[in-house]
Amino acid sequence: MNDSQNQQALDAQLDSLIQPFKAVASPLQEFLSDLYIKYKPLTEGKVADYIPELAKVDPDLFAISVVTVDGKVIEVGDIDQLFTIQSASKPFVHGLTLEDCGRDFVLSRVGVEPTGEAFNAIVLDESSGRPYNPMVNAGAIATAGLVKGDDPTAKLNRVMEMFRNYCGRDLYVDMSVYTSERSTGHRNRAIAHLMLNFGMVDQNLDDMLDLYFKQCSVMVNCHDLGVMAATLANNGRNPMTNARALDSQYIKDVLSVMYTCGMYDYSGEWSYRVGLPAKSGVGGGIVAVVPKLLGIGVFSPRLDSRGNSVRGVKVCEELSSHFGFHSFDLHDDHSKFLSSLTRTRST
Amino acid sequence: MAKIISIHSFRGGTGKSNMTANLSVMAASQGKRVAIIDTDIQSPGIHVLFGLDEDSMALTLNDYLWDRCTIAEAAYDVTPASVAAKGGKVHLIPCSIKAGEIARILNEGYSVMLLNDGLRKLCQELALDYLFIDTHPGLNKETLLSIAISDSLIIILRPDRQDFQGTAVTLQVANRLDTPKTNLVVNKVLTKYDREAVREQVAEKFQTPVIGVFPVSEEMIELGSKELFTLTFPDHPYTTELRGVARHVVT
Repeated sequence: MNDSQNQQALDAQLDSLIQPFKAVASPLQEFLSDLYIKYKPLTEGKVADYIPELAKVDPDLFAISVVTVDGKVIEVGDIDQLFTIQSASKPFVHGLTLEDCGRDFVLSRVGVEPTGEAFNAIVLDESSGRPYNPMVNAGAIATAGLVKGDDPTAKLNRVMEMFRNYCGRDLYVDMSVYTSERSTGHRNRAIAHLMLNFGMVDQNLDDMLDLYFKQCSVMVNCHDLGVMAATLANNGRNPMTNARALDSQYIKDVLSVMYTCGMYDYSGEWSYRVGLPAKSGVGGGIVAVVPKLLGIGVFSPRLDSRGNSVRGVKVCEELSSHFGFHSFDLHDDHSKFLSSLTRTRST
Repeated sequence: MAKIISIHSFRGGTGKSNMTANLSVMAASQGKRVAIIDTDIQSPGIHVLFGLDEDSMALTLNDYLWDRCTIAEAAYDVTPASVAAKGGKVHLIPCSIKAGEIARILNEGYSVMLLNDGLRKLCQELALDYLFIDTHPGLNKETLLSIAISDSLIIILRPDRQDFQGTAVTLQVANRLDTPKTNLVVNKVLTKYDREAVREQVAEKFQTPVIGVFPVSEEMIELGSKELFTLTFPDHPYTTELRGVARHVVT
């Protein structure tokens, strides 16, 4: 190692020590803290209770994570609290199957049309027999059936490897949530049978449903959601580890489906008001992507009637309107956001 | 908006706590609302200058960091009578001086984010004009945070080689943390040296303004941190020089 490399290595050490403090002092941190204080008292909505494991969660938990495509992390609240990813897993598994099977084949099995119906609706596109899109349960179950692997364990391992590439750490399946999901998942089983009837899925319904229940029972924290969203924003590469989580050619597929279908039957209004590709889960998580700029993760377990986190929706709305993140906010050059990352030095 | 002023020295014994306490009182004497927070969790001491002891500090910064109280509940009104007469207010948030509590925070650590939230809340809830942070010497979490969030940083050094090297480190860190304003203060200069020459040399060496040069003061040592020097000796050269420092950071 020569002197200049040595100096670079030392500078990198100092930077990594200092970066978190820099983030804490940034105007964005102040903005997130204010959002946190503003919405902390909001107790509207209801925790998902279709299985006892979800009902047990402390409803007051609340965290916001913003991760930029160059790896800056600004967060507030119960950022390390684990919860189940639930439907927020769907876009990521969708991406994996695009890599596995290619765009055309995936599209032949699962559509990309918003339903306007509840996430668990037992409904398929009448003319094609396909589920409407990969973000509703029917589509996500069919999508799980497309994951490649010699046996169920191999398939699960590939899903977990994908999550590791997105998060930069090993996640695990919570067995009690998974067991509950499996034992109460009659509606999802009915959906699978309907799809089998239309010839849209293979015979092996149990394996397909099992993988689906497991992907929903993966434990994440809010920071993970922020990093996963930032990985999508960063064209499929994790901004902290530089690991590739998704082939860049499929980013547009995943993001456009999130944009139109990600927020259950609130997707239309979400696209209009927030204008960002996003996906919510009944565990209380939301991932939202500002392409080429940052990822947002929000966690708050109380849900509105459509199954979206109440505080999560509010936080995304405020972030989007304050910083001009809406995809079609064409007059915004993100300068407001970029300048919020560092304090201005007065002369 | 409250201005946050951090006072730091790379090594101990520079007279940091004395200067922080006296500067805050000077600011409050101008009718300002001021708080001092002791973030020197490992070796707290500034409370002594305001006459607080273990028994009079029911709640401390430690309790806030352990979620036992709000930050404002750990704030003590220590306004000296003469300052109150001028419409000023001085609050102090001390650190625990109990050995077990110091040990606990060193063992368990604490959340920097929580400390940051606390500092912001303190500014709001006490409607502060100035928050002075008395830091721990060297580089640690609470020092890095206080430098990162400061509007103004004062680094105190003595004219010796070890302090010079340490000051260079702190300046490098402050530069990376984009601290808006950094100034140096030289303390404990031997009386045989020309203070103006010291000021010029130090400013030149660090390319940073030197806003005060203080000679070693026997009166200060004699007072033994029992009370606030500038109130006891309003006409002492130390007090006069500190007014000059105050003019730079308190507007």
